[in-house]
Amino acid sequence: MTGFLAMVKGFLKMTVRNRTALFWNLIFPVIFILVFGTVFNESDFSANVGIAGAPSDFHSEVVQAMDSSDIFDVSTDETVDQQLDKLKDGNRDAVIVFGDAPADGGFPTVQLYYDEAAGPNSQISISAIQQTLNQVAQGPSPVTVEAQPVQTLNISYMDFLLPGILAMSIMNSGVIGLSTSFVTYRERGILRRIKITPFPLSSFITSRVISQLIIAVPQALILYLISNVFFGVNIQGSILLVVLSIFIGSLAFLAMGFAVSSIAPNVETAASYSNLITFPMLFLSGVFFDIDSAPGWLEPITKVLPLRYLVDALREVMTRGKGLDAIWMDWVILGVTALISVAIAVRFFRWDSKAV
Amino acid sequence: MPSASNRTVRQEVTIPAGQPIIEARGLVKRYGSLTAVDAIDLTVYSGEIFGILGPNGAGKTTTLEMIEGLRPPDAGTITVAGYDTRTQTEDVRRAIGVQLQTTALFDYLTASELIQLFASLYGVDASPDRVDHLLGMVGLREKRDAAANQLSGGQQQRLSIALGLVNDPVVVFLDEPTTGLDPGARRELWQTVRDVRDHGSTVVLTTHYMEEAEILCDRIAVMDHGHIIALDTPVGLIESIDVEATISARTRNGSLTLSQLREIPGSKDVSINGDQLELRSDNPQATLIGLLEVARTANVELTELRSNQASLEDVFLTLTGRSFEPATETTEDEDGTSKRRFWQRRKAA
Repeated sequence: MTGFLAMVKGFLKMTVRNRTALFWNLIFPVIFILVFGTVFNESDFSANVGIAGAPSDFHSEVVQAMDSSDIFDVSTDETVDQQLDKLKDGNRDAVIVFGDAPADGGFPTVQLYYDEAAGPNSQISISAIQQTLNQVAQGPSPVTVEAQPVQTLNISYMDFLLPGILAMSIMNSGVIGLSTSFVTYRERGILRRIKITPFPLSSFITSRVISQLIIAVPQALILYLISNVFFGVNIQGSILLVVLSIFIGSLAFLAMGFAVSSIAPNVETAASYSNLITFPMLFLSGVFFDIDSAPGWLEPITKVLPLRYLVDALREVMTRGKGLDAIWMDWVILGVTALISVAIAVRFFRWDSKAV
Repeated sequence: MPSASNRTVRQEVTIPAGQPIIEARGLVKRYGSLTAVDAIDLTVYSGEIFGILGPNGAGKTTTLEMIEGLRPPDAGTITVAGYDTRTQTEDVRRAIGVQLQTTALFDYLTASELIQLFASLYGVDASPDRVDHLLGMVGLREKRDAAANQLSGGQQQRLSIALGLVNDPVVVFLDEPTTGLDPGARRELWQTVRDVRDHGSTVVLTTHYMEEAEILCDRIAVMDHGHIIALDTPVGLIESIDVEATISARTRNGSLTLSQLREIPGSKDVSINGDQLELRSDNPQATLIGLLEVARTANVELTELRSNQASLEDVFLTLTGRSFEPATETTEDEDGTSKRRFWQRRKAA
């Protein structure tokens, strides 16, 4: 036990003193958060708007005007309830519901529902919609717009982004961090040096994993605090579920890193294999945008990427405040990923890098 | 628990000086079609510094790693401190200390942290006093807070040796401990090795430096092509060949012929390379006088006249018919690359 604790302590020291790892595991995600948080407040966007409610001339004119505009992506085929469900699911940036036209021929009431969590520019889309309504009505605000935010009023794009970035940093420190460090241990003869002590390899690997889990918590905390201080991000769901998701995700990606380290002959190949694995996942797992809005042909690809499930679990809990029932399947899939990866790692494990 | 069982081991394996502590019989290791170690026997006695000397690719490291229990032999038996390396691996590991050819140090940890960590891995005393004692033994006390990757090559090797001493081993294995070191660092390391022995550990080391084996080792096994071709004390090895010295000189204003040199009394083996001539002699005094006379008669001037006492170099030359030098040209290898090259060359030959 003393050996185990000493090894965990050693790994923690090595992680904290390793500036390169510190950059990729902490500074890099922080930069992402700061850059995205700043840039996405001003960028071009396309708002996905659902329109429903009582038919009227004004209703049709608004649909026509928004259809012809580049910034709106209009859906009119669903009922009010269906539209609002889609809004809650994150498939609409806003929903416009028209009331009955008054008998005196005036404008109908218009209710505007929106969910800030679905995109970076909710405020801009709301004002763009209001502007369009005013243009169609040909006058300064003859329409009474009652903005009706859905229950997730305080959620911004940054609330949406933080779980993605967190998942990304867990993946990077797991896959890239573990694979390159283990191949280095093998190349330098450190694995053989450990083999020759009475300290078992299994304990060596376990202590590395434990140290990573210990590091992951303050790492997540720092990302959260920065998001909270600069962009007002809050965690909606259970902290315990967030921490457990971080642990399970870390295990899955550490296992993948271990598999890579067993297959890769040297540090250079370990780094490129790791990038080959992490890069597609970074862009196809919904880290930066909602993967449901990606083209349909991508769906089968994104479904086999483990990062998607970590992003999903973290986002469901952190952003949407969901419970275990919404994420247990994500945990199962991450667990299976870990098991498969460990099996590969054990199958191809080598003590040393010599060809003989 | 671990420290308790370790203490037991240390008591059990207290072996009086001069008793066999390593016994290897019929060791064989093959890599594909190459037989790296071919049926060797050796016995190491407690309290000695035992050297395994040979060119790169001779099978030294493989032999060492089989004795350490790192590589299973294809045939043969090994006992270390009374334990069978195959069946009592755990006991062997607790009884030995090892320095590998690669220094195998973790980055970002300091010298004292590394010693403390390894002591903990063995479950033995990891107190600051103990760490300080070990640092002192390898002369690194003032480097206690330096990160391993900031140490010089020689300091890293000595730290690596200190890590091999944390469990107070009865046998310490050093695999080419001075490869890549400058002469000063090499001499310091020799002293460290002697200190380790004086503290009661038996030392087994490999080297491809003749001089190192001759100066440092009590007994030497000379290895070549997977065989032990000679095993004795340095003096015994040198006396076993009937060459006492090598006499060399450079000729000026003329030259001598091979047949002239062969007629000189005591000369065994002569060579002329340009203006450079060399005679190996079993009677240096007679040979020197003879050479001077031949030169005077032929009116040839001799410069840089030198007589070198026979060394292990001559032993190797006599035993194998070739010089040590070609293989030792590539000495900077620590990762085994040039070693593989050497083997491939042999396979092709």
